[in-house]
Amino acid sequence: MLVLSFFSWWYGRGWKQVFDSFGPRLKNIANAFSVNQLTRTLFAPWRRIITYPGATFGDRLRAWGDNLFSRIVGFFVRLAVLFAALLVIVAAAGFTVIELLVWPLLPIAIPGLIIAGLVA
Amino acid sequence: MNDMINLNSQRASDARLGKLIGKAGYRSLLAIGAAAAAGAIVLGVTSGARFALLLASPALLCFLPAIWWKRQLSVLPPQGTDLLSVDVLSRLKPGTTLNPQTMWAAIQDHWQATFFTNHLLLGKDTLGTSLSTNPAELEHALNIAHELAVKNESPTIELGFVVAGLLLASEPIKQMLVQFKAQPSDVEAMANWLGRNLDEALFAKRNFGGIGRDWAFGFTPLLNRYGQNISLSITKHGSHFGWLMESAGVRAIETAFDNRTSAVALIGPDGIGKSSSVYALAQRLIEGEKTTQRLAYHQIISINATDITSTARRPGDLENLMINLTNEASHAGHVILFFDDAQLFFSDRPGAFDAGQILLSIIQARTVPIILAFTPNDFQRLRTTNQSLANLLTPVMLQELPEAGVMRVLEDHAVGIENRNKVLVAYEALREAYRLSGRYEQDEAYPGKAIKLLQQAASHTEHDVVSAKSVQLAIEQTRGIKVGTAVAAEADTLLHLEDKIHERMINQTHAVGVVASALRRARAGVANPRRPIGSFLFLGPTGVGKTELAKAVAATYYGAETNMVRLDMSEYQQPEDVSRLLSNGQQESKSLIMAVRQQPFSVILLDEIEKAHPNVLNLLLQLLDEGQLTDVAGKAVSFKDCIIIVTSNAGAQAIRERVEQGEALQSFQAEFTNQLISSGQFKPELLNRFDEIVLFGPLQPAELGQIVALMMREINQTLSNQNISVELSPNAIQKIVTAGYDPRLGARPMRRVLQRAVEDTVAQKILRGETNPGDHIMLDAPDLAV
Repeated sequence: MLVLSFFSWWYGRGWKQVFDSFGPRLKNIANAFSVNQLTRTLFAPWRRIITYPGATFGDRLRAWGDNLFSRIVGFFVRLAVLFAALLVIVAAAGFTVIELLVWPLLPIAIPGLIIAGLVA
Repeated sequence: MNDMINLNSQRASDARLGKLIGKAGYRSLLAIGAAAAAGAIVLGVTSGARFALLLASPALLCFLPAIWWKRQLSVLPPQGTDLLSVDVLSRLKPGTTLNPQTMWAAIQDHWQATFFTNHLLLGKDTLGTSLSTNPAELEHALNIAHELAVKNESPTIELGFVVAGLLLASEPIKQMLVQFKAQPSDVEAMANWLGRNLDEALFAKRNFGGIGRDWAFGFTPLLNRYGQNISLSITKHGSHFGWLMESAGVRAIETAFDNRTSAVALIGPDGIGKSSSVYALAQRLIEGEKTTQRLAYHQIISINATDITSTARRPGDLENLMINLTNEASHAGHVILFFDDAQLFFSDRPGAFDAGQILLSIIQARTVPIILAFTPNDFQRLRTTNQSLANLLTPVMLQELPEAGVMRVLEDHAVGIENRNKVLVAYEALREAYRLSGRYEQDEAYPGKAIKLLQQAASHTEHDVVSAKSVQLAIEQTRGIKVGTAVAAEADTLLHLEDKIHERMINQTHAVGVVASALRRARAGVANPRRPIGSFLFLGPTGVGKTELAKAVAATYYGAETNMVRLDMSEYQQPEDVSRLLSNGQQESKSLIMAVRQQPFSVILLDEIEKAHPNVLNLLLQLLDEGQLTDVAGKAVSFKDCIIIVTSNAGAQAIRERVEQGEALQSFQAEFTNQLISSGQFKPELLNRFDEIVLFGPLQPAELGQIVALMMREINQTLSNQNISVELSPNAIQKIVTAGYDPRLGARPMRRVLQRAVEDTVAQKILRGETNPGDHIMLDAPDLAV
């Protein structure tokens, strides 16, 4: 009864839970890396460090250059973080796929490992 | 019931197994598995694959059941109609005869059961024996539990809901609750309280935006220095404002800012929760997902007027600081400034700091969202002093919560009080805090006043329990009044109130009896709490003891004769005199409102009411009906702790004549009252509103002698400072009675005659040196010059 209950969960709801867990995991990673925020503000100036344009053409040109630099810095920092997030998501997805594949083998692996050990 | 509980089902069996393994078993499995896995790795490296593979197998044998327990057995999601939580199912053994008693026996050791018994001050054993053994009652209890689970949006029927169901389905328990001054609705409220706690535990992990949340926003070094970042303090300390985040006030502010309003005036009386609403808004915004994209991750920074004014050294410093702070907030792009007690920024005193003009220009420029918190009076003042600024603000009025809402706030605060003070807050204490703060704290709104009282009650615990009595003690200490059930000594005084009053008052037994009964009703808590403690119309001739009885009531009930507010209504004969009574004190010294505000626990004696203008009488109608009046500024003042005594000489001649003809006062009271109405002296609606109409008869000669004796006691009390006592012979008393009694004025001239006769005689004796300290003076009739 106990063993039956375990196996019915392991190959039923348990296996499905592994699949279902990917969604929340993805969401947690996206939240931790602020994916939404960073995507929306990808080209925004870094921490709003900006220069206000003056009256002369030179001042305007310098402010434009400063602000462009701030945006470039912001873009690269954000891009780096988004890339890191992507890596973690890919890793998590890979882990989930492996988990899904390995999951049904684990109960079989218990006697399998003993047999393999004895044979080896 | 079989639908809801099947002890032979796979789910029930899994639940029992889950309990058997428990958290300790789970941890042990993990530890052994980890040790085996580590061993396998070591052996794999040192001794080859054979032993590694052999040891990996037991590692898996431990990990797999651990995963099963963690993901399935410990949570057990509902299946069809099988909705009972794992906590309940795991405690029921197969073959158990299911009824309320066996159910209670199975679940009583769980913390959720203790939550109910502790907060309702119920003994677990008493509860067990009071529950029925009827299986049908358990079915009823489970249906109630199911309803509570649905109401709390809980996917399973939690153990606490089953406890609530058991309590609510049992008639003996309901009666027991009433004996403990609790109500069945308290049990339901507690189930909802528990539901909120479970919900909070379930969603304790919150998302505050992640690593790059603030990268598109500017730095705020100045604001960090001079302000308090409410949002960051929430992310650090994990405060949770739960349902308040969804309240109408919070949603109104959010909507206003989402519609690009530049400034919101958050208006509400003290204690209504202006700051809490702003904190709840801060949480809503910093959680990002709950709000609009425009407002997501905005941070609320509170600016304190005292803090920033204390930094100014030179004139103009403050103005510069305010400008710099708002510029920084505007530049950062994600800051909402919160000015609590905003009136402090708009001082009109000479030399004081007035940020009105600076704020006006900031709000006009619409560069930074601002919340300004005002009381209604302060906002009204701003309207008169700086109308252009007031017009730019979007007002959000906070409404006082209904009783259920206040109780919910108190429940949430009780958890904090319990943790901070290491006490248990009984549910009856929450109810009492609500009731007593509503009755005695007029200057603050709910829920603030109830929270404050509950916090004060935490220092009046009995065996570390904050009970209703603790709340009563707290308010008795802060307000100097008696609100608890009368203790033995006091109960004795109340039961013998007539004797106490008669110690200083002669005869008028009917009047004294009527008043004493009313006071006993009030103190025993059976009087209407929404009206004054007692209201009496004293009718009778002058000088028969009407005022004396009022004084005696003040002394006996409130502890001192000085707890009496006396107004001569002949001074209120004009229509405009009503405003003098209702004045808030700045212009008028004889204001009833101010007198009661200063001394809310008083006898209010309104003399000669028949002489007052009809408008004043209409005011009296309102006072007797609602137990409160509203001053000229629109602020209510409670008279619910007052005893209202109204005197009148109307019909005095008729009373005297009928008593002299030998009629008893009670025998003609009804007829007399009708005469007063038919003659137009009093309106029926006024007379009907008094608790009692009390007739005072004229004094008899024998009573006058006793009055002289009473007055002599007062004179002797005065002379006791000089260690001298005076006594009157029977002839002397008779002489004073004859000289002092006037059928029209009653015993009123008596005091004057006594003063002239006795005090003057004694004074002369002292001055002539005929009397020395320690002497006892005996005065006979010839000694007295009357």
